This record gives sequence, C-alpha cells and structure tokens, in this order.
Amino acid sequence: MTTLLKVHGLTKHYFGLTAVDNVSYEVEAGTIVGLIGPNGSGKSTSIDCISGFQRVDAGSWSLDGRNLTGLPPHRIARAGLTRSFQTVRAYDELTLLENLCVAAQENDGIGWLKALLHGKALRRADAVAEARARDLLAVVGLIDYAEAPAAILSYGQRKLLAIAATMMSRPRLVVLDEPVAGVNPTMVKRIETVIRKLNAEGVTFLIVEHNVDFIMSLCSRVIVLEAGAKIADGPPSLIRSDPRVLAAYLGQTRAAELDTAGG
Amino acid sequence: MRVAAGNRWLPAAAVTVGLVALFALPQVTGNEYVLALGASFAAMSVLSGGLNLVYGYTGLLSFAQVGFFGIGGYAAALLVTEQDWPFWAAIAAAGISAALVGLLIGYSSLRLSRHAFAIVSLSFALLCMIVARDWVELTRGSMGIPGLPTPTVNLPGGWRWRVVQPADFYYLLMGFAVIAHALIYLVVTSRLGRAMRAIKLNEALAQSQGINPLSYKLLAIALSALLAGIVGGLFVFYLTIVDPSIFDFYYTETTLIMVILGGPGSFWGVLASSAVLTVVPDMLRFTTDLRMVLYGVVLIVAMIVFPGGFGGWLQRRRIARWRRPRAPAPSVAP
Repeated sequence: MTTLLKVHGLTKHYFGLTAVDNVSYEVEAGTIVGLIGPNGSGKSTSIDCISGFQRVDAGSWSLDGRNLTGLPPHRIARAGLTRSFQTVRAYDELTLLENLCVAAQENDGIGWLKALLHGKALRRADAVAEARARDLLAVVGLIDYAEAPAAILSYGQRKLLAIAATMMSRPRLVVLDEPVAGVNPTMVKRIETVIRKLNAEGVTFLIVEHNVDFIMSLCSRVIVLEAGAKIADGPPSLIRSDPRVLAAYLGQTRAAELDTAGG
Repeated sequence: MRVAAGNRWLPAAAVTVGLVALFALPQVTGNEYVLALGASFAAMSVLSGGLNLVYGYTGLLSFAQVGFFGIGGYAAALLVTEQDWPFWAAIAAAGISAALVGLLIGYSSLRLSRHAFAIVSLSFALLCMIVARDWVELTRGSMGIPGLPTPTVNLPGGWRWRVVQPADFYYLLMGFAVIAHALIYLVVTSRLGRAMRAIKLNEALAQSQGINPLSYKLLAIALSALLAGIVGGLFVFYLTIVDPSIFDFYYTETTLIMVILGGPGSFWGVLASSAVLTVVPDMLRFTTDLRMVLYGVVLIVAMIVFPGGFGGWLQRRRIARWRRPRAPAPSVAP
C-alpha cells in the first residue's frame, strides 16, 4: 500500500504547554485510520495543525509526496486534504445543495471572470457539482431536503451534511473531527455506514473520536495519543490490549488490576 | 432570486417595466423636485448596494463607503478643473483611485480580523474629512471646489451630450446606477456571491473548502469602492461643487440604515429600502421640526417588525415553511 499522508515530528506549544509533542505517523491510501486519546491529549490540535488552522512550532507533513507544511487552510484543502469540525459547521442560510456545491467550486478550475460570464465551461462544472451533491445527499439520506436551508437540519443531520461537504472536492484524504460526538446511536450507525460506503469508493479517512467502540469497529489502524505524544499505533486488536493505552484511559492502578485479572 | 422554472419570466418582466418607468419619468414630468429625488435615489442606492456587497454578502461591517464616494468626487473634480482631463476619463480615474484605496485599507486591516477592518474603515472615513478640510493646497480646504463645469460627454457617432438640465443628470446618474446594480447582481448571483455568503456565514468552514477569504473580501471591497468612487464623481458635477461635507456621516448612516432595513444579503430588499428611504424622509418634510423624530420612529418600528430586515423576514418564512410538519417531502424548490 502506498503512503498518502506522512506526518513527521509534529510539535505545537501553547505558551509553556506542549499540546503536540514530536508526533509522527503515516496514513496509507484507501484506509480508515483512527486517532484517539484521553481529553487534552492533542488529537484535535494535531489535526488543526495538518489542516492549516494552527501554526506548528516544528515538524512537517506531506500528502502524496507533496509538502503541505505551513500552507494556509485553503491551499491545503485544494491540495486534497479536507476536514470536518468538532463543533459542527454548516452554512445555515444556504440550501443543502448550495452547502455542497460551494465546497467544490475552488477545485474545478473556473476563474472569477468565467464565473461571471456564465459560459459553457461554468455550466458544465456546475452540472457536475450538482450531480455529485445530489449523489452525496442520497448517500447521507438528506436528498429530500436538497432545496431546504441547512438551518432546518437536526444536529445529527448537520454532521452528515458536514461529512458530505468534505467529499465534494474529491479529496485524497478526509479528516473527521469527532463525527459522532453527541449523536444518537441510530445516527452513529448511519454515519458509520456512510463512512464505509465512501471508503469503499476510494476515500481515505483519518478520524478523531472519543467513541472508542466506533473507532475500533471502523478503523483498520488506530493511533493513540497521550499528553501530546504518540503512545501506540497498530490494529484495533492490539490497541485494545496495549498496557500503555489502558493506563492512559483507565489510570495505572485499574490497568494493572485488569492485567492481573486477565493474565 | 431563486425562482421556480415556470416563474422565470415574471421577475424579468417586472424589472423591464421598472426600468422603462425609471427612464420614462423625465418625459412624463419635468418636475425638478421629482428628478432630484430620482438622482439622489440613484446615487444613494449605488452606495447602499456596494455596502450590501461588502457587509450583507461578505459580512464585513464597513464605514468606508462615504470615503470612497468623497475620494471619487474630489478626484473627478480636481482632474477636470486642474488637469483639464475629459469628463469620462476623470470619472474612470475617480473610480479606480477609490478602488485602489479600498484595496489598500482592506489588505492592511483584513490580515488582522474583520473587526480591525470595521475600525480601520471608520477611521479612514473620518480621516478623509480631515484631509479634505486641512490639506488646503490640494483640496482648497473647507471652501471646497465650487463652480464645476458642465460635463460634456462625447457619444459614439460624433454626438456631444452636454449634461445641463436636471433631466440630463437624472439620466446620467440613473443610467450608471442601473449598470452598477446589474454588476452587483451578476456578482451576488454567481458562485462568487455564493463564496462571499459562505465566508460571512462560516469563515473557517469556507477555508476548509479551499476558499481564500481574503481574495473574496478584497474583491467585494474593491468593487464597492469602484462603484462608490464613480458615483461620487458623477454626483459632484450634479451638485456643481465638492467640499468636505461630501464625507458627512449622514451618508454612512443612511446607507447603513438602507442595508439593515432592506436585509443584509438581500439584493432586491436593499434596492427597495433604498427607494423607500429616499422618499420617506422627503415625505416627512411637511413638519420640519418633527421630521427627524418621525424618521427615527419609522426606523424603530421597522426594526421591531423586521429585525433581520425585509430580506431576513423572507428568509425566516422560508425556514418556517420547511420546518412545518408535512406528509411527503417536497421534491421541487419552494
């Protein structure tokens, strides 16, 4: 398998605090990789860094061999790395179709002048975007509301819309920041199905999530952070029994108890 | 702006009728008062339309419109009186210089935040007034530049149009206003306008989708400044004088009210409120003492009834319609 995302020595300080401490990992093309860790372990900060929303203090990362270090968010997105946000974001006043089509418009090569002159190239690009938007809305089960403003959606539906929006520009890698946090169990299943379906179509995922069961059932590989540092990296079966991971999540004593009980 | 396919001809017909009516007005009435009101509507609506592009669509609160308006006025007046430039060239230069100033203050402040832009735009507008008053060698100070010559426009085919009569100025300003609004409409209904709305609604989300907010913000500011500069240039020749009062806060206040009552981000809403708010203060002229008090009452009532402006009211109705429980999901646009 080819490596898609390569992160090397990522470091981020907030004043005296080291939020992300020399973290390196790789994501292979076509996989679903989970990024977990207790609160404050630097998961969200690390993906804010690789998507350009936070400046890094050290480290570099590349997508498919292309160096993305230090680029602003919109350049990283155009390079094929899109993301969703922990606090779910949508354009409330725009319709669902507009919400999705706007996410693709910077990637179809139509400049400002062409956009104003309403030429053939623009109409073709718009038709392609709308068809893709309708496909994605069908996948996430929101096609009935295609023409409705996003303001009418429930919290879970907004998460689905956000996932669909990350797909619009046909990215190489999609980073999802807590896609199922605060979502009811039925919707969790639905989001899981959607991610699997899109992954089967060739999209690579890096998912940050607190819901460990969700990550363990979905991901082929899991990276664990604690206090800003990477403490484990491997398939879910190994991560489940990794003593350092157990210690990080449950505390040293309880982990030791489980270890004795199990062994 | 979004209309079901079968209804497409209706707004087009309404616009055509409106345009014919606007251009027939001087033929129907020679009443100078009516024509002056029309010319004033044309000028103010270009300012409010530009502010709507910057504030309503892109989400940048700006007090700079009056600055661009005045810079355009001074640039056109000085180029014609001091440098003997032809009228059209001076008007074009007025627009371009306003746009360049707009890019300058936009680029310098937007790298900080949109709040920084609001403050810088306010300081810029105040600074313009001070420069106009105190840089006497250039602007002739508070006396201004009176007695601007009658503009002469060379039309294709050897025709020369001397803009003298109130009706001539009405046509000049209204003609430019139509072009300006057509341009704004073209932008806001295109994907450029969609990206601007996206930036206003959620800038981080827009960035994560490859949209560069700075470039769209600068586009909105430069376009609004260009239009304000040109209309400022035309307006001073209509007044035949330019003095520091062209930077008066009155213009800022009025255009802001037009945009807020019309509904920020609503093209037709702001155009309509520009017309209403040009006419209403004049209708209140019957009582000089209470005029501004009544105007204030009208504004307060309007804000209570339409907190998001007229456009905001329409938007809320649209959302409410979709929230209403219904058996089958609709498959066509409302």
